[in-house]
Amino acid sequence: MRAFLLITRSVTGRLLGLRRSIGLFVLTGSIAPIVLVLAPGRSDERVATFYNDITVGLGLSILFPVAALVVSTAALGEERKSHTLPFLLLKPASRWVIALGVITAATLASFVILEAGVIASWIAAAVVTGDWSIGVSTTVAAAVQSVASAALFVPLGLVVGRAALVGLGYLLIWEVTLGNVIEGIQASSIYRIVVSAWADLAAMTPDNLETVTEVLGRVEVGVGGAVAKATALAILSITVTGLLLKHRDLVPE
Amino acid sequence: MTGAPHATDARDVSDATVVAANLSKWFGQKVAVSEVNCSFGPGVTGLLGPNGAGKTTLLRVLAGLLSPSAGKAAILGRDPKRHPSVYRHVGFVPEDEAVYNHMSARRFVEWSAALSKVEDARSAARRALDTVHLAEDADRSLAGFSKGMRQRAKIAAALVHNPQVLILDEPLNGTDPVQRARLIELFVQLGSEGRTIIVSSHVLAEVDRMATRVVAMVNGRLAAAGSVAALRDAMSDTPRLIRIDTDRPRRLARRLLAGNWVESVRVDAAGIEIRTSDAGALGHDIAVAARDTDSVVMAVSAEDDSLESVFRYLVEQR
Repeated sequence: MRAFLLITRSVTGRLLGLRRSIGLFVLTGSIAPIVLVLAPGRSDERVATFYNDITVGLGLSILFPVAALVVSTAALGEERKSHTLPFLLLKPASRWVIALGVITAATLASFVILEAGVIASWIAAAVVTGDWSIGVSTTVAAAVQSVASAALFVPLGLVVGRAALVGLGYLLIWEVTLGNVIEGIQASSIYRIVVSAWADLAAMTPDNLETVTEVLGRVEVGVGGAVAKATALAILSITVTGLLLKHRDLVPE
Repeated sequence: MTGAPHATDARDVSDATVVAANLSKWFGQKVAVSEVNCSFGPGVTGLLGPNGAGKTTLLRVLAGLLSPSAGKAAILGRDPKRHPSVYRHVGFVPEDEAVYNHMSARRFVEWSAALSKVEDARSAARRALDTVHLAEDADRSLAGFSKGMRQRAKIAAALVHNPQVLILDEPLNGTDPVQRARLIELFVQLGSEGRTIIVSSHVLAEVDRMATRVVAMVNGRLAAAGSVAALRDAMSDTPRLIRIDTDRPRRLARRLLAGNWVESVRVDAAGIEIRTSDAGALGHDIAVAARDTDSVVMAVSAEDDSLESVFRYLVEQR
């Protein structure tokens, strides 16, 4: 337990470095100024519709996944690249505990960065509409996004040199492009898992409902199912990362 | 002693704590370490070899950072890859300069102590930082440290849990002469306390000052193993190529050929190149020969004085 806490704390601290946090907050917080610029002269319902649409269409589809990707691939990838992995790995701690600690740290750091953006847009939308519950669903979506991204991209960072670039390719090709045209892969799409959690809790207008239905395709709406899928992915990832730490060469040639 | 010490010479120690058994490591087509059999025990052992000899790869395999392609590595009887609990007794200083730039030296060493299951991590870190003379700078960020200070912070982190085995990959890189002398003294002291200290270096003089035993590698293979004295003897018996710049090369060459330590001579307009089995004796004879032949010697230089070439001789003679 002590090793888990030490690893989680130190990796989270490194991932939340000032430069990276500010850079990614600019990305995740960019919905807030858009809401503020477009709100004047529109009804509360129109602003809420717009907020929800932009959250699903821009935040959950691109901004949040990219920010979580950058943080998660850096969790082990940065250590590998900067040759600091021996400090973490040559310690009397189980490889599973190290994997759990690093994935937990990536999840926490991702969530902090995503939630900072969520809070910014939440405040912007709530000030205009007066509905202070408007950001709850996005907070839950950010949490699911953080868990799923950490599960997928932490091990990728350990095995691939340019993991952020590979991950970006995955997001654009698999999640955005193929996910829209091939129904069979929609159930395994992180974007759709996150949207299914969001849609279960969001107060959607009919216009929003239409958008979400189109995005989800065959995926059922439900926060429980989304959390279960993200958790299963995280358990699988801890297993895979632990095995990689145990059996792979951990420093370059 | 004639020729190089064989790789079988004292390659194993009776009270071994770190063992490489028929160990090989290759990366694709490139063989980095080839069939190395050796062991390390209490005291300071220098792992010596020119750049690219495979020292770092061997240490990384021994430490469990790399899996052997063939053979086995063990620390205290256990494979560190399979049994990470062995790291409770192992300290490792990697060759890379990298440290955690987001931490202070104190936090880095405390963190290492706590992860190594030291009860009072704070006190242990304070002692380790004192040992490497970093106490005054302990609260500064590692990002602002010089290369030498980073090396010392890494050594403190490796020492903080009082390990029985210490693996140090080029630990003196970047340190100034004063720090270097202190660290050498520290390693000697740790070795004399019965710990196994493995120090890699490509600088013979450094190893000479701290190690009682040397394992030499060339081209990924074990070239020699044994006491420092034995290796030095082997090197002095190895044919050396000496160049003498003189105004009367033919006359001086004829005179030097009288010495039975000269194996061959090549004369050119500006001087002589002599291959000798005893560079020391030749050195003494040059002055006498120059006087006898009324020659002026402008310069004497060893053409193959690098460690690499000396080791190459060792390998060729195996």
